[in-house]
Amino acid sequence: MTYIVSLFLLGLVLGLVAVASNPAPYFAALGLVVAAGVGCGVLVGYGGSFLSLVLFLIYLGGMLVVFAYSAALAAEPFPESWGDRSVLGYVVVYTVGVMLVAGWFWSGWYETSWVVVDEFKEFSVLRGDTSGVALMYSYGGGMLIVCAWVLLLTLFVVLELTRGLSRGALRAV
Amino acid sequence: MTPVHFSFTSAFILGLMGLAFHRTHLLSALLCLEGMMLSLFIALSLWALQMEAIGYSVAPMLLLAFSACEASAGLALLVATARTHGTDRLQSLNLLQC
Amino acid sequence: MNPYVLTILLSSLGLGTILTFASSHWLLAWMGLEINTLAIIPIMAQQSHPRAIEATTKYFLTQATAAAMILFASTTNAWLVGEWEIHQLSHPLATTTVMLALALKLGLAPVHFWLPEVLQGLELTTGLILSTWQKLAPFALMIQVAPTINSSLLIAMGLLSTLVGGWGGLNQTQLRKILAYSSIAHLGWMVLILQYAPSLTLLSLFLYIIMTSSAFLTLKTNNSLTINTLATSWTKSPTLAALTALVLLSLGGLPPLSGFMPKWLILQELTKQGLPLSATLAAMTALLSLYFYLRLCYAMTLTIYPNTLTATAPWRLNFTLITLPLSIITILALGLLPLTPAVTTLLTL
Repeated sequence: MTYIVSLFLLGLVLGLVAVASNPAPYFAALGLVVAAGVGCGVLVGYGGSFLSLVLFLIYLGGMLVVFAYSAALAAEPFPESWGDRSVLGYVVVYTVGVMLVAGWFWSGWYETSWVVVDEFKEFSVLRGDTSGVALMYSYGGGMLIVCAWVLLLTLFVVLELTRGLSRGALRAV
Repeated sequence: MTPVHFSFTSAFILGLMGLAFHRTHLLSALLCLEGMMLSLFIALSLWALQMEAIGYSVAPMLLLAFSACEASAGLALLVATARTHGTDRLQSLNLLQC
Repeated sequence: MNPYVLTILLSSLGLGTILTFASSHWLLAWMGLEINTLAIIPIMAQQSHPRAIEATTKYFLTQATAAAMILFASTTNAWLVGEWEIHQLSHPLATTTVMLALALKLGLAPVHFWLPEVLQGLELTTGLILSTWQKLAPFALMIQVAPTINSSLLIAMGLLSTLVGGWGGLNQTQLRKILAYSSIAHLGWMVLILQYAPSLTLLSLFLYIIMTSSAFLTLKTNNSLTINTLATSWTKSPTLAALTALVLLSLGGLPPLSGFMPKWLILQELTKQGLPLSATLAAMTALLSLYFYLRLCYAMTLTIYPNTLTATAPWRLNFTLITLPLSIITILALGLLPLTPAVTTLLTL
């Protein structure tokens, strides 16, 4: 499990390298999907199965679908992937940079700093984060209300921003 | 600095660098913002799990709600920019330069 | 815009700032900042011509980045130190990142480039909200984290802001850009004194808000966006033209006006703290700002719009704009200097 989680952590960093290296949005969305999926794995490894589920369902299932849809709408005939020269430069620079910094910290990482916290509790049914999130309905009620308010606010923001076919210099057909 | 801390820190900084340096499309910039938010989500939930502070498991949920709001506002701005400028390339946002 | 929607947006604008004021936890402070950003976006884009949309996009990107950086810094602090309180931000990595993020949010010197461009794309009322009300929440956070920030970073940022604010405004003909650079310069003065006398920072923020609102409201009354059109203000309203020149000089910080008070007290405090070099540099860079204020005064009061008629008064129609806030705030922007003894007494309490 420790080995797998460390692979997941590596995958998280590489996924962000894939997003940050300025490929076409098509591929950047793919990189973010990979990073989010791997992040779910990390959370499972550290015992947050409910939070991982939330990340998978809401983030991957909700938001990234919208992003992938937008990326598909804006698709170019020849999208730049990570193999193209300009993007490859960024990929190499970012990867080497991360590896250098990791090498600087490497001496401080001994064996137990890699070990996943609840290696031996894999079969327990009740996880702490499930009951922790449920606190939102009792002690964290105010935060829930603020969240609901901001979601309502965002609805109006989006409606106001995208309203009206006749707005703007170019008329969208 | 544990390996976990290093991983999400470098993920956040990579997203920030990607946003700060050259971007071709507005959508790529928004994706970089989302990457930063993803690393923050992982950081907050791992903090709550490692410290066994289960009350803090609420924090990543709130973060997720707010980052969803931010992402939708960003996509709405993408639509508005595509309507007024005709493209979503960041280089076309040059009407206000000094 | 629909008045119901406008009500929701404006109340959310207030809610965000108040949440940030009231919170002691970084997460809630971040939520307040986010609500603030989200609420002002449709107000900025309500004209929906390309420049407004572009300004909104730029504003959104910078503010979202800055807010994410703030949350990242506090998360780092929680991982390293174990504290989420705003006051307990103690790790140097976290404090430096928070300072940079707040500078990006406010538009301080090394990361100020978005402010003139964004302000140029907005109409004057929105610009007024952007350059006054939107500064309050980041400043509340900045004052709370100020004691742990590296002081040379603060002084460098402050001096650079005053310099850039004076220098960048020299070559501008657009009034909104000039006001943006003036805002950068004033923020530089506030950051300069932040660690030595936070009450002086608050005082100077207060006076900056008064003077900037007065300038924006005057421009809105005159309906002028470039230096050229300022020349018509004499025929529109002679009293306002005369007073506006004084308001601009007050922004520049000349003695009998209230803009002199923060500069005076800040320079005195800096020399008292043993920083004569910083004080001298700040005073010299204020001269750069004074140059473009004087140019505005010249265009406003000493030039007349080229006109074939000899008449100096336009058609007198009934003035429909509400000018009571303008008159009150102009009086405040001009005549608060005699209160200095009372203010200094209050500050030392």
